[in-house]
Amino acid sequence: MTDIPLLERLIEALRCLPGVGPKSSQRMAFHLLERDREGARQLAEILLEAVARIGHCRLCRNFTEAELCEICRHPGRDSSLLCVVESPADLLALEQATGYRGRYFVLMGHLSPLDGIGPGDLGLDSLERLLDEEDIAEVILATNPTVEGEATAHYIGELVRARDIRVTRIAHGVPVGGELEYIDGGTLSRAFLGRQVV
Amino acid sequence: MFAPCAAWAMVKMSSPQLQAAFVIHQRPFRNTSAIVEVFSEQHGRLGLMARGLRAPRSRWRGILQPYQGLVLSWRGRGELPTLIQAEIAGPCCLFQGRRLFSALYLNELLLRLTHRHDPMPELFARYRQALLALQDADEATVLRLFERDLLKHIGYELVLEHTAEGVAVVPGGRYRYRLGHGLVPSQAEQAFSGEALLAFAAGRLDNAASRDCARRLMRQVLAPLLGDKPLHSRLLYADYRRRTARSKI
Repeated sequence: MTDIPLLERLIEALRCLPGVGPKSSQRMAFHLLERDREGARQLAEILLEAVARIGHCRLCRNFTEAELCEICRHPGRDSSLLCVVESPADLLALEQATGYRGRYFVLMGHLSPLDGIGPGDLGLDSLERLLDEEDIAEVILATNPTVEGEATAHYIGELVRARDIRVTRIAHGVPVGGELEYIDGGTLSRAFLGRQVV
Repeated sequence: MFAPCAAWAMVKMSSPQLQAAFVIHQRPFRNTSAIVEVFSEQHGRLGLMARGLRAPRSRWRGILQPYQGLVLSWRGRGELPTLIQAEIAGPCCLFQGRRLFSALYLNELLLRLTHRHDPMPELFARYRQALLALQDADEATVLRLFERDLLKHIGYELVLEHTAEGVAVVPGGRYRYRLGHGLVPSQAEQAFSGEALLAFAAGRLDNAASRDCARRLMRQVLAPLLGDKPLHSRLLYADYRRRTARSKI
């Protein structure tokens, strides 16, 4: 298409980003070359550095530059509470929305046999080690309320229960400010099943 | 004079309305869309493009869940028609704990052993029945009977009342199953008992011996159909049992 192989390679390389198709990657490539060469240089450097230096936390598997992430290192965090989440984005959401002061374990996915993702891909060996070695009083399962998330929660729940550690699951139900009339049946039946004594 | 009718008929054909279906699986596509694999009553298994399904304000997100009875409308031909309507119709099966793994197994079987665009209304009815049964009935029984019926609908019906030679299977006899052939009398140690085979054929797996026979037989028959790619939900379940057993010691 172009007579500059390098440009073609750049356009192709940008397509590795999620949601970027051929048209967007072409726009990005032209933008960087035409208008923001300095930005492109910075991006290239930071990408190289990030890929080289960011790894996974030894305890919680979240992204970190050090051996242990900031949360696992923090002395004020309650190390007897462990919250299991599917992704770093979920961890951030919980950090921003709740006053949770315990630690996390990031699975980086969920069990999904139909996609070929099994326990080995989620670092459950590290989780088991953590349960055996650390003094944990409660594990909070905060995986998504999808079929795969539920299967993951049940699987981990059993691992935790077998060690006589308290295990809890986040509640599912009617969103705050929602109206029952407009809520989908699945959510509503969950909310109904999970009703609580007042 | 016929042309408009034919064109109208084609449009009608390519946009099925309110078809009973279950979601089998979904995969993310682009930023906010997903490709939803569904099993429908009249059109068999097919992939549908659900635009905006994963967007924050998606109206389908809570609806397009596996094990939820649905009616769906879609438009377009080719490999990936576009979903245009989804409504809840029928029961939502919420599985607790270990039964979730069995439910995932059912979906993986459908995904692996059925072809897209191959209508199987009877199998659809069996799938719905199996999901309902899986809520409280014995899991192994539900799975084995579904496997048996799935095989029948994809063209591998097991004949368990007669041997390959057409001799009636008797409760006291012992048999082995030769793939592509049928039952043959056998005195081998792992041979199936006639009693267990007849119980399986009649759908009565009420004792350990008949369940064991059904499990071994289905494994044997399914193996060549699955090829060298194992069923991940089966591996998951084996791993689950191993880990929970090990940590209990």
